[in-house]
Amino acid sequence: MKMMNKVAAGVVTIGLALTGCAAGGGAPTTNDQGQTVIRFSWWGNDTRNRLTEEVIALFEEQNPDIDVQGEPGEWSGYWDRLATQMAAGDAPDVIQMDEKYIAEYGERGALLDLEAAGVDVSRFAPGTVDTGRLSSGLFGINAGINSPTVIANPAVFEAAGVAIPDDTTWTWDDLAQTAQAITEGSSDGAVGSQNYMMVEPIMRVWLRQQGQDEFNEDGVAFDAETLGQFFQQGLDLQQSGAFPSASVASEELTKPVDQTMGATNRLGLFYYWSNQVKAFDNASGQDLQILRPPSMNGDGDHELWYKASMLWSASGRTGNQEAVVKFINFLANDVDAGKILGVERGVPANLDVREAVRPDLQASDAKIVEYLESIESELGDPMTVTPVGGADIELGRWGTEVILERMTPQAAAEGLTTELTSKVQAGA
Amino acid sequence: MSAIGELAHGERQKDESRDNKAGYIFLTPWLIGLVVITIGPMLASLYLSFTSYPLLAGPTWTGLTNYIRMFNDPRLLNSLVVTFTYVVVGVPLQLILALAIAVLLNTGMKGLAFYRSVFYLPSLMGSSVAIALLWRQMFGTTGLVNQLLQSLVVENPPGWIADPSTALGTIILLHVWTFGSPMIIFLAGLRQIPTMYYEAASVDGASKWTQFRTITLPLLSPIVFFNLVLQIIGAFQAFTQAFIVSGGTGGPADSTMFFTLYLYQQGFTNFQMGYASAMAWLLVIIIGIFTAINFAVSKYWVFYDD
Amino acid sequence: MTETNTPDVQLAAAAASDENTVTERRTRSGSSTARSVIKHILLVLAAIVMIYPLLWMVVSSFRPTAEIFRDTSLWLTTFRVENYAEGWNALNHPFSRYLWNSTIIALGSIIGNVVSCSLAAYAFARLKFKGRSILFSIMLLTLMLPIHVLIVPQYIVFAQFGWINTFWPLILPKFLATEAFFVFLMVQFIRGLPKELDEAALIDGCGHFRIFFNVILPLMVPAIATTTIFTFIWSWNDFFSALIYLTSPQMFTVPVALKGFLDSTGGSNWGAMFAMSLVSLLPVFFAFLFGQRFLIRGIATTGIK
Repeated sequence: MKMMNKVAAGVVTIGLALTGCAAGGGAPTTNDQGQTVIRFSWWGNDTRNRLTEEVIALFEEQNPDIDVQGEPGEWSGYWDRLATQMAAGDAPDVIQMDEKYIAEYGERGALLDLEAAGVDVSRFAPGTVDTGRLSSGLFGINAGINSPTVIANPAVFEAAGVAIPDDTTWTWDDLAQTAQAITEGSSDGAVGSQNYMMVEPIMRVWLRQQGQDEFNEDGVAFDAETLGQFFQQGLDLQQSGAFPSASVASEELTKPVDQTMGATNRLGLFYYWSNQVKAFDNASGQDLQILRPPSMNGDGDHELWYKASMLWSASGRTGNQEAVVKFINFLANDVDAGKILGVERGVPANLDVREAVRPDLQASDAKIVEYLESIESELGDPMTVTPVGGADIELGRWGTEVILERMTPQAAAEGLTTELTSKVQAGA
Repeated sequence: MSAIGELAHGERQKDESRDNKAGYIFLTPWLIGLVVITIGPMLASLYLSFTSYPLLAGPTWTGLTNYIRMFNDPRLLNSLVVTFTYVVVGVPLQLILALAIAVLLNTGMKGLAFYRSVFYLPSLMGSSVAIALLWRQMFGTTGLVNQLLQSLVVENPPGWIADPSTALGTIILLHVWTFGSPMIIFLAGLRQIPTMYYEAASVDGASKWTQFRTITLPLLSPIVFFNLVLQIIGAFQAFTQAFIVSGGTGGPADSTMFFTLYLYQQGFTNFQMGYASAMAWLLVIIIGIFTAINFAVSKYWVFYDD
Repeated sequence: MTETNTPDVQLAAAAASDENTVTERRTRSGSSTARSVIKHILLVLAAIVMIYPLLWMVVSSFRPTAEIFRDTSLWLTTFRVENYAEGWNALNHPFSRYLWNSTIIALGSIIGNVVSCSLAAYAFARLKFKGRSILFSIMLLTLMLPIHVLIVPQYIVFAQFGWINTFWPLILPKFLATEAFFVFLMVQFIRGLPKELDEAALIDGCGHFRIFFNVILPLMVPAIATTTIFTFIWSWNDFFSALIYLTSPQMFTVPVALKGFLDSTGGSNWGAMFAMSLVSLLPVFFAFLFGQRFLIRGIATTGIK
């Protein structure tokens, strides 16, 4: 039958494309005017989109032979689109990448080794280059430095009559007592602290201070027993009133960050990445204070690390490697580009760019730069990139089981560890 | 799906050949669409269901591995339970409400267009971010619903969205609340019932209820059937509302983890598109069985004029 | 189905024969005003439940972003019209661009669905041809697979045609009756029409095309109106396909553009999002108001004797 032949032909086409045999990757793309066309995909809100378009315009002005086509998106939809494009062999040339997914893409050969391709990272601050390094090459260029922070809301502290502790010497016990004092001292229902048990970077800080880690080169780097202690601590603090009730904490998990209790002045202490502080400043209308996470003994051993808030990657099948490298170099190292982008994606890793940006920083940006520079000398080991299969550790799901007391902390910790280990092993 | 063979019922011999030709002419656009756009991806997904396919690298044949894995996946079982609950509770509630309101609005009363628009409004906005936000806020621990309950002296009302035992209920409610689409289809169907039937029945003094039972329901039955079949198919694939209300997590504690949401997470978050494809075909089998039963049973209650 | 099952006037009349006489019907009319009032009160109450979210959206669209989620009431303390001006211009293109894109796709989809689905539906409902049952089953089957496992192969197909970042992947399938929902809907409507009509036409020597255009189509106005309304709304609200197939901002549709205001990991521009959500609700609402008039018109057309 003719029809069956057509169907068969179609299926074969799809099959070939799925296995990467038929796609047209590798050939340079040019437009009618003879310009090299590169596609550039990123996620962000309207502010970031505007700044990024400005940078593209500046680059095109300086490089009239290159046409950069922007493909902005929003975080959640961005990954669906990127995965589909990649799978169909139609990936954008330059890709804004996240640390969580870089191994998924890089280890499967979907990304370009940027070091070999000639991207310049010579002026990067120490410890900021390897945030995008996998065993087989450098697949992501740091687009902004990030680190875990504890955010303190001075207004909530003041209303409760509690002093903000000294973050260089405080311990987890100090945090617990401070949080409890805030809850007890508040008259308007504010709570001392966000439930940090379900905050992944805080979990990682805590594990590192226990001599373990979330991941290392061999995969999952913690044991269920240690994680169980962390969960137990979370449950204890919830019962003592230092944390919000289970029901409130569970609702917080699904809220956009600018609607959370922290953003609406109902928490004394909460936990986010440093590049998110500004969003909280804006939402809460407060001059929030950035603190180091506590240490185990108050000896200042915080075991912090620098993370890339996001990375610049390139498709491994781009046919326009030269233009791509030029553009990523421009994004990462050009002072004028840096001045446009500011610290919106995180503090620039390139020290020249950082100095150029410094004079124009707003107050809430300046305190982030200050924080990141102040912890530089006390950083722990650099973090290992999230392995294949480890992108979603489902901390919220298992944590909810604990706070709702449907599972014991130990059982939930075992569940999470087993599930994550098998996912990472399957990915390896 | 032999039940659909029922379609071919009551065939006549005359003009068989002419019908054949005309049939395929009328079907031409659909056939082209099937061959060029629909069938290929469907067969591809069927093939992928027998492979390990991490999206970013090519698929490798693994035989029945994915299908065997499904039987040992407690989260998948849980998602099936969630989805069944949603279908069994949500679909009848929504359809009964839609039919009741449609019949009420079909009486030629004053302000008909106004009510119809108002009742359809939720369906216009049903999948928007704004509604998800509102829903979360209304059913939050300190939300509007609980404020109302507390003013009625209900102590410690649950956090509807945060409590795994009530979270699914709020999503079912959201589904029922967007009853506008089946309502419109019912309304359109009611418009096709010749008014003379009612006039005749009124003259004979039949009550409204008798008229509904003996005229409206039988004549509307093809449309009721349509809504039932399609709403069941749709409810089994429920995704958007759960996705936006739970922020894509299916939480709390997997209590709103719909089958399709879990499938999506496997495919796009965990890069296991082979497993996701196998799940999709399991869903096809389940929906297929429900649909076949629906068609088989329809012989006894759906009236066609052919 | 067999003819004996077909309900008709006699059936209704027979069932009604035990009801009381015309005189009693007259006495009822006094209480019918009271019943009508009760009915309206119930409907108004229900309407408030239905309309509350819309009111909340309207109110939120006039609030500063920071206030939206602190205040669940419907009272406005500030009146911030700037959300509209800002929202209109905050993205890469003025918002009119996205409205226009969505309009093109919606109109294209409507024409496609109405034409192709009604043709297919006529074939399935009225014509006896070889393979009908199996094709009908296949059509239903196409409804059962979730989009998420089809999107990658589909993308490959459309990429082969060179259609990525064009409206074609969103419009053209509609011309090929790929939306089985509407085919099935129309099948059910056509099968609800009295068969004698087209049999009479057949005897008069009409071909199937004349029967379709002159007899069936005019009787299907309510079904076509339903298809039109739903197609408009569904394609207007469609997020996933538009997200995947339209990559550059000048091609974005309304739902994709609206996401541009949001940032789940940082600060979102909620005020502008609500303002533009409301603006984009207007076309669908008016489309609905317009379309539903044809739901009424159907009754005149179906006043068959």
